[in-house]
Amino acid sequence: MAEGTFIFMVKRTVVSTGPVEPGKFCHLSVLDRLMEQNQVKIVYYYPSRADVEPGEWIEKLGDSFASAITNFPIITGRLQKNTEGHWIVKCNDGGVRMMEAKVKGSVEDWLKNVDREKELKLVYWEDMSPKPYYWSTFYLQVTEFENGGLAIGLSCTHLLADPICATMFFKAWADTTLSGIMSTPPFFYSLPLSKADNKNPNQGSYTDLIDYYKSSIERPTPLITNQKYATITLSFTDPMVRDCIAMAQATGASDKSRSLAFEALAALFWVCLSKIKGTNGRLLKMSLCSDMRNVLGLDQRFFGNCMVYNKVHLESAGENMLPEASKAIGEVMKKMNAEGIKDLIYWLQCNDNQTVPLMNGYDFMCANLEGVNPYLATFKDRIEPLRVSYYVEPVTGPGQVLIFRSAPGEGPLSRVAMATLPEDEAAKLCEDDLIQRFSPTVLMGTNKN
Amino acid sequence: MPPILPDFSSSVKLKYVKLGYQYLVNHILTLMLIPVMAGILIQVLRLGPEEIVNLWNSLHFDLVQILCSCFFVIFIATVYFMSKPRSIYLVDYACYKPPVTCRVPFATFMEHSRLILNNNPKSVEFQMRILERSGLGEETCLPPAIHYIPPAPTMEASRGEAEVVIFSAMDSLFKKTGLKPKDIDILIVNCSLFSPTPSLSAMVINKYKLRSNIKSFNLSGMGCSAGLISIDLARDLLQVHPNSNAVVVSTEIITPNYYKGNERAMLLPNCLFRMGGAAILLSNRGSERWRAKYRLVHVVRTHKGADDKAYRCVFEEEDKEGKVGISLSKDLMAIAGEALKSNITTIGPLVLPTSEQLLFLLTLIGRKIFNPKWKPYIPDFKQAFEHFCIHAGGRAVIDELQKNLQLSAEHVEASRMTLHRFGNTSSSSLWYEMSYIEAKGRMKKGDRIWQIAFGSGFKCNSAVWKCNRTIKTPRDGPWMDCIDRYPVYIPEVVKL
Repeated sequence: MAEGTFIFMVKRTVVSTGPVEPGKFCHLSVLDRLMEQNQVKIVYYYPSRADVEPGEWIEKLGDSFASAITNFPIITGRLQKNTEGHWIVKCNDGGVRMMEAKVKGSVEDWLKNVDREKELKLVYWEDMSPKPYYWSTFYLQVTEFENGGLAIGLSCTHLLADPICATMFFKAWADTTLSGIMSTPPFFYSLPLSKADNKNPNQGSYTDLIDYYKSSIERPTPLITNQKYATITLSFTDPMVRDCIAMAQATGASDKSRSLAFEALAALFWVCLSKIKGTNGRLLKMSLCSDMRNVLGLDQRFFGNCMVYNKVHLESAGENMLPEASKAIGEVMKKMNAEGIKDLIYWLQCNDNQTVPLMNGYDFMCANLEGVNPYLATFKDRIEPLRVSYYVEPVTGPGQVLIFRSAPGEGPLSRVAMATLPEDEAAKLCEDDLIQRFSPTVLMGTNKN
Repeated sequence: MPPILPDFSSSVKLKYVKLGYQYLVNHILTLMLIPVMAGILIQVLRLGPEEIVNLWNSLHFDLVQILCSCFFVIFIATVYFMSKPRSIYLVDYACYKPPVTCRVPFATFMEHSRLILNNNPKSVEFQMRILERSGLGEETCLPPAIHYIPPAPTMEASRGEAEVVIFSAMDSLFKKTGLKPKDIDILIVNCSLFSPTPSLSAMVINKYKLRSNIKSFNLSGMGCSAGLISIDLARDLLQVHPNSNAVVVSTEIITPNYYKGNERAMLLPNCLFRMGGAAILLSNRGSERWRAKYRLVHVVRTHKGADDKAYRCVFEEEDKEGKVGISLSKDLMAIAGEALKSNITTIGPLVLPTSEQLLFLLTLIGRKIFNPKWKPYIPDFKQAFEHFCIHAGGRAVIDELQKNLQLSAEHVEASRMTLHRFGNTSSSSLWYEMSYIEAKGRMKKGDRIWQIAFGSGFKCNSAVWKCNRTIKTPRDGPWMDCIDRYPVYIPEVVKL
């Protein structure tokens, strides 16, 4: 058998170790309900270890996962519609589907020539079945590499979790294997609402956000075409990111709530992709997706959707495309303050309709996942992850780029960017001059020689 | 079946009449002896001391006569002690506690059922209704191979389950009793549905390096009552072999027997059978008398296999698609009732106090001679036993027996709670129930326990134990972490 082929794949259900109190329900927020059509997929790679028996890790991980999900009844529950036609989770202790797989070769070899199609085989996902009451909302796949190494794929419906809390959940699980206790248990809150005296959302100071959501909800869902996508993973080291920030002339370094690394890199991709997609000197339509936990004053362990989309717009840019793009992004990010978000939430609650948009299928989407560090997920006797990959599926339209932190030790500003684009554009991205100025490492390319 | 007398049980007067009657009949010999002894004493006192001395001297004591009399007495005593069956003691027992990761909540079971039987919604509905009314809880366990979709019942997985269950129970038993593996003289393993070659008893001998002259037995195919059959076998062997230890292992291996088809009569076992096992140490050594928990008093075995309907009521066969499963017939409860009646008829005279036996006899005579329409008298077994361990075969079995024997809720609590926490663990369920009673601190010295098991064939087997010493609430055991939550209220129907 060739390297990289799957030797076996079997499915089972992992059940929590403590019975759930019967009759519990978890309600979903307005932000949750908008994300019904999407899924979050994360792949963690762990290095080879010489002292491990085959199959030993799959069993241990299954057992520790069973204890971890005892603290997350929302994960082991099942979706049901309540009397208002909204999704709620009935905490019925159904459990989580787990796939156990084995692949020929070692994890290091796999990483040398992995691409989007191969990587997605490490994460199992089943679309919602016609009877959602019997459909698991979370899927775990543990793939053991015959010659050493491990890949853990976690996928879930975006309805229940965004990439931030999925990462926090994974870390909480890893922590239970280290010390036996969950050092970062989740927080289940409702989203905060506007103050009572600000009843009319149209009088809020920032209505662009609400307008953007309104137009997203009202436009028809883009059809999923046969367009093939490829994902490129670029790793930017700390010095590279600093260069980029300098070049983008991004200012306001003292303002802690802003992330200069994200703004600079987002501007970089905006400019490059506009060139690649051929928008005649104008910048393509892009939306930003950012975590609002800090802005709303919620703990990082808040479980649920708390990422908000907004459109960034620049009519035309002159010679200094990058700095202007960066400035436009910075302004939009600044305007997404607590009041604005609370107004949005209020508006969504008032204008509750049943249509579920595809929030990230229309414009090019750039997501900021810097709020969490996935490399903190260390299992007992295993060192840190070798690599982590994020996907928000399905990808349609112009594509998306996800920007998140890279392995510790590479510097506080080092970042990884995963860009999912139509195949031909992806190839061009790696060769783009502006990107090459910073010479990032290509961790995952298109593999087409 | 109501008692023959009209129900005045609320009347206090009748209660005292009943008590007086029972006391009179049960102690009739004592009560008759007292006036006789009193009479003799008065007569002797009347005679006066000189007359007594004269009477004494008139007896001619010859040396030969004295020797013969002594020899005769000693001879009778020896014959008596030699022919008395050896006392069989239950030193201790250990039950297997499955790991929490093997737990199967209702929701998971139903999902798997739906995913595997996706072409048969009616069968899935049927399973759901069974599960709702089953009396099982959310903590029962199935072996790891059954958690896969579809289940992966390989021979290796079955052996794996057998090893985990049997070895855990035995390790626990060794720890509790301080028994050394080389001191085991007799080994009996019973597992009805999994019978590999070499046998499970050979597997135990291999693991613990038992002696080469051990007497080992492996009973398979004998159903849920095989546990008591093994105890009976151990008892018979311990009569023949003096100064011996016997270990009995009762279990049921679920992995190879998960029915994968959709015939309704065969889906029932899937819903009820769960992982479990027990290891019991029996001994006839005198030295064990002090620390043994129980003494075996009676074992009564009743087999109704001669009747075709009884023989076929629990039958392993292939369904229309060729998938093997155990088919339970619709008259299972009726046949169980018949088997129980047979068993009671034999065990009654052995255990019931004279008062109950007399009433039963009088009613029997009355029915035969005077009026056949009199309802038969159901002896009150609550007077013969303090504790009842009814095999947790299913809620229906426990309900039926509770009704037939007129037991209170507390009497069947051990059975119901075992069914809720562990499911139907087949032959080992009786030991989980005993463990429950001990964990609740209800087992006192002198208490008599009745274990009743039903099994395919159709068999009804009973064992009667007498508690040898008051048992302190154990700090280990399968109920250790959850006994405080019990008893729980089990609703008639659990809405899924």
